[in-house]
Amino acid sequence: MVLELKRARPVWQIMFSTHHTDVGLMYLIFSILAMFIGGAMAIALRVELFAPGAQLIQDSMSYNRLFTAHGTTMIFLFLLPSAAAVGNYLVPIMVRYKDMAYPKLNAIAFWMIPPAAVLVWLGMADFGWYANPPYSVISSPAPAAEMWIFGLKVLGVSSILGSINFVVTILKCKHPDLSLGKVPLLAWSFLSSSIIVLAAMPTFAAALLMLLTDRLGTTGFFNPAMGGDPIAYQHLFWFTFHPEVYVLVIPAIGMMYEIIPRFSRRPIFSQGSGVAAFVILSLVAFASWAHHMYATGMTFTEKTVFMIGTLAAVPASAMHVFNFLATMWNGRIKFATPMMWAVGGIALFFAAGAGGVVNSAMPLDFITHDSYWVVGHFHLFVFGTIAFGTIGFFYYIFPYVTGRMYNEKWGVVHFILAFVGACITFFTQHILGLFGMPRRIYDYPEIDSWVSMNALISVGAMIILVGMCIFLVNLIYSAAKGKPANLHDPFGLGGKYYYPYEQRNPHH
Amino acid sequence: MSKIFHLSIIIATLCIIPTISLVFAAETTGEYLDRKAEIWNLFFRMMTVAFVVGGVIAGTMVWQVWRFRESNPKAKPTPYEEKGEL
Amino acid sequence: MAHSNWAEWIYVAVVIALLVYVGAEAWNIENLIEHVPEDAEVIKVTAQQWFWSFEHEDGTKEVGELHLKKDHAYKFEIESKDVNHNFNIHEYVVLLDAVPGQINTVWFSPNEAGEFDIQCREYCGLIHYNMRATLIVEDT
Repeated sequence: MVLELKRARPVWQIMFSTHHTDVGLMYLIFSILAMFIGGAMAIALRVELFAPGAQLIQDSMSYNRLFTAHGTTMIFLFLLPSAAAVGNYLVPIMVRYKDMAYPKLNAIAFWMIPPAAVLVWLGMADFGWYANPPYSVISSPAPAAEMWIFGLKVLGVSSILGSINFVVTILKCKHPDLSLGKVPLLAWSFLSSSIIVLAAMPTFAAALLMLLTDRLGTTGFFNPAMGGDPIAYQHLFWFTFHPEVYVLVIPAIGMMYEIIPRFSRRPIFSQGSGVAAFVILSLVAFASWAHHMYATGMTFTEKTVFMIGTLAAVPASAMHVFNFLATMWNGRIKFATPMMWAVGGIALFFAAGAGGVVNSAMPLDFITHDSYWVVGHFHLFVFGTIAFGTIGFFYYIFPYVTGRMYNEKWGVVHFILAFVGACITFFTQHILGLFGMPRRIYDYPEIDSWVSMNALISVGAMIILVGMCIFLVNLIYSAAKGKPANLHDPFGLGGKYYYPYEQRNPHH
Repeated sequence: MSKIFHLSIIIATLCIIPTISLVFAAETTGEYLDRKAEIWNLFFRMMTVAFVVGGVIAGTMVWQVWRFRESNPKAKPTPYEEKGEL
Repeated sequence: MAHSNWAEWIYVAVVIALLVYVGAEAWNIENLIEHVPEDAEVIKVTAQQWFWSFEHEDGTKEVGELHLKKDHAYKFEIESKDVNHNFNIHEYVVLLDAVPGQINTVWFSPNEAGEFDIQCREYCGLIHYNMRATLIVEDT
């Protein structure tokens, strides 16, 4: 327990600590804060899009800055740090070691994030989180663009440092009696995602530097007049960021592997299958990047290659879904809040994947590219799968972090609102995209179908908002005043299903 | 028997009929390929596959969640509960 | 881990079969629609912040509007003068990026007369949301 509010520790003690539970706590608090900030931006966008014409936001530049900040915040400041939070907290426990391999580096990796966030939030660049040139080079205003570039540089370094720590901890610091195959699947998920980061992130670091020097005018990597090619950036960007989306989803699946067997009171159907699926997914993640670029004028052969690469990742994801369903089969399932989130997450994971398979079919990209179908699709992944798995896991570790139980009833209400809201919002966005509405637009013409669907989507977003407000209140109130939890069996599962969570924090 | 019948109807609709129409269609009216029709046709076929598979998976999950919930009168302890650990 | 996994192997085989089907169909249709007819009339499409301009084979220029004839084949040669844009006639499923420094081509044949929206489908800045034009297909 690191955040017992009734027996508070000095804040400076946590902030200067290098112990993995404290660093994990700091990542946790930061990521939850960023989730609410990114969520507020999303609500602002949806209020604006509720009807044609200007509602909340009076000019398109502010809107453009908001959607860029929303995407950047959610991916880099919420999802990646929340995975790091869970990993920091649990990986040493899972491999039966006393801390991460490099505790000081761990703390440094965390502390790089707040300054980077400040750069991004104060700059408010407007080019979308892809930062595609030539727009980001010749047309996007300074200093916002440079602040975003520097902020992301720092975040990339932080990611790499964190990944090094995970890989070394899991491979080199695990207990001698623990074979790699028997390491829990959540730890495997961190191993896979960290290796992907190490292989993929440097490419984006190069792309960022090239963007910067292009903006300064010293180079013309992406400037056709100087012999460059704007599409080259997209290859570099997507070579990193397609694998990166797997970096986002793999830990969330790992978190579901923690929750689902425990709450079903059965072991995972097949540990080996889970390991194999993670390894295959990590490799195949690198084979599909240019499916984001089908509309750039690629040749038929190139598009075919990437379509095959995209489809090749589906069996591995399907193996995880099978594993989850087979684990629940013949179980005696307690549907406490974490389990609801995990199971809801599996359902939306499948829906997201199905939509993705449709996208990967080359001719269908002509219907869906850069439309709200894509927005709906990826939100089903980042919200429906990753955020669901993550939030469920936050509820799960809440008693371990705070020593108290959250309010179960409000947790269930939060889940229902989030699930219903997600279905309304993101499934409708798929249909809106089929009707042709582009993404990243501040306003839209008065086409009847677009107007009614946008209104419905905004209502769905409000439903999610209500759920999230309940979550915030639950978190804060329960941390301070919740019932003390039974740390041997907080969820009343009636067995010794848990890790020995009494990790010795040196400050306790 | 009826499963085989249903399966063959689905295979016919999704594979055989479009293939035959593609091979044998003499595009008389309009002379040129109707891009819009071809692409949306593919889309609806993909949607059929997606919804059939989705129905199976979602149906399985809903049934499972209902049958194996701990409050089900038919629920019995798992073998792992006696051992007390997984 | 001592239990039999045959169900999972069958499941994976079914998934792979479905994906092969998806891939093969997609390949088929893409092949079909990429075959440009020889008599397609070339229309040069120029994208720039934040409007569309067109030039017909005979030199006629149009800005913000494009007049085409029903049941004729047209090949768009799409280019951009500044940043990335994307030429999209959603009703005819025509969609392709306009990238400075290269010319992208796509062909189609409008089979219905009427007015259709042309919109930009790649974020290009301030007025991206309103970078629209009208396609007018006339009966021959």
